[in-house]
Amino acid sequence: MVAHADWSALRESETARILAACTRCGRCAEVCPMMPYAEGAAGVSAATLVEGVLEVLSGGEGGAGARGWISVCTRSGVCNAACPEAVNPRLMLRLAKWRANETGVLPKRDASEAMARVKAFARLGFSEREQEEWL
Amino acid sequence: MTEALFWYGCNMTRHGEIIRLAARMLEAVGVGAAPVGGPGACCGSPKESTPRIAEGMANRTMEKFGKWASGVRSAEGGAAKGGEHRSRESAAAPKGPPSVITWCPSCHMNLDDFMGRTKEKGFDHRHLSEALWERRAALAPLLTKRVATRFLVDRHMGFHAEVPVNHIIPALLGMIPGAEHVDHGHRGGSYMCFGLANVPGALGAHQRALLAAMHETGADTLVTIFHSCHRELVGLERDHGIRVVNWVHLLAESMGWDYSDDYKQWRNAEDPLAAIGPERLAAAGEAAVRKLVLPELTRPRPV
Repeated sequence: MVAHADWSALRESETARILAACTRCGRCAEVCPMMPYAEGAAGVSAATLVEGVLEVLSGGEGGAGARGWISVCTRSGVCNAACPEAVNPRLMLRLAKWRANETGVLPKRDASEAMARVKAFARLGFSEREQEEWL
Repeated sequence: MTEALFWYGCNMTRHGEIIRLAARMLEAVGVGAAPVGGPGACCGSPKESTPRIAEGMANRTMEKFGKWASGVRSAEGGAAKGGEHRSRESAAAPKGPPSVITWCPSCHMNLDDFMGRTKEKGFDHRHLSEALWERRAALAPLLTKRVATRFLVDRHMGFHAEVPVNHIIPALLGMIPGAEHVDHGHRGGSYMCFGLANVPGALGAHQRALLAAMHETGADTLVTIFHSCHRELVGLERDHGIRVVNWVHLLAESMGWDYSDDYKQWRNAEDPLAAIGPERLAAAGEAAVRKLVLPELTRPRPV
């Protein structure tokens, strides 16, 4: 028995859980190693950044700093270890990014050639038999 | 032999020799694992800015793995009854659930966080490093060649909570005669270099920190854990007087196995197309290579 019917149900459930569980303490933002790269985040309080991320997660725009933080999340997971409420801020930021991509708040990464590139490298590096068996 | 899949992911097609070496290594320690990956076995991660597409790709992969796992269980059932479906692998040694052995941390985490929470798994999964560590008693006697090196491992903050790679990889390589791990506190602020490469300034900062750590510790070799790190760090070999290898390469060297790191050669060649060679270029399609591969091989180096 799986926990969720599909990714949409999982996202909905996790989004509701995160919004309810997060106390906006800002600890996740304070420890994030990528914060120096987050455009617009300098000088914004950690609590405000988190509030902005939750706003994006809910379909809003958030602040510039929150959007900058979401954009540079590299899933270090340092936030998860620091979170006192076991919110899973790493997932919070990832889901916020998906939501932002869908609402247009953040641009989508151009992955249009990703799979064509994967195949081109396979043709270069795999034997014909390996291509048949491994792909 | 244990029936298993070696799920190498999609971007590992750049490093065919690592796939070959890993599968051979698993077999050498008693795990028969068939490599599978590419667009047909994708976790969805490359397309996750459109979650609906990512989900579709991930679901297809789960269906593929589910059919495979069901086939393994049927074969084992047949074997238990002395039936004709008994496979070479299932005729031997202890059975557990069918196992998927992962390489890519994105795939591994997607399996944990999304795929396995929305589709029945029917198999267990572990990372390659865990599979080899579990079988280290069988691996150790195979590491017969001395590899004289002081190596630093490119470690990252992420993924370690899921699979303790930052401990396992140095421990595995520490079994190699002559190889000395030099510890250092630097950790990349990501789970592999891919994430850093997409943030202006971040990959360069990470590379400078690694080079400084190597200088500080007297390391001569930088060991990468994941494919995207290898992809981003092999370029350092050309200009910085260090050696860059993947951890699987180093184990293979100690096992006396030959390999060719083509990606590194292409990346560091003055003329990558000449390094690829006309025969492979023709087989892969020159137009596609020029459009899709060449820009990557000639991209600017952060340091």
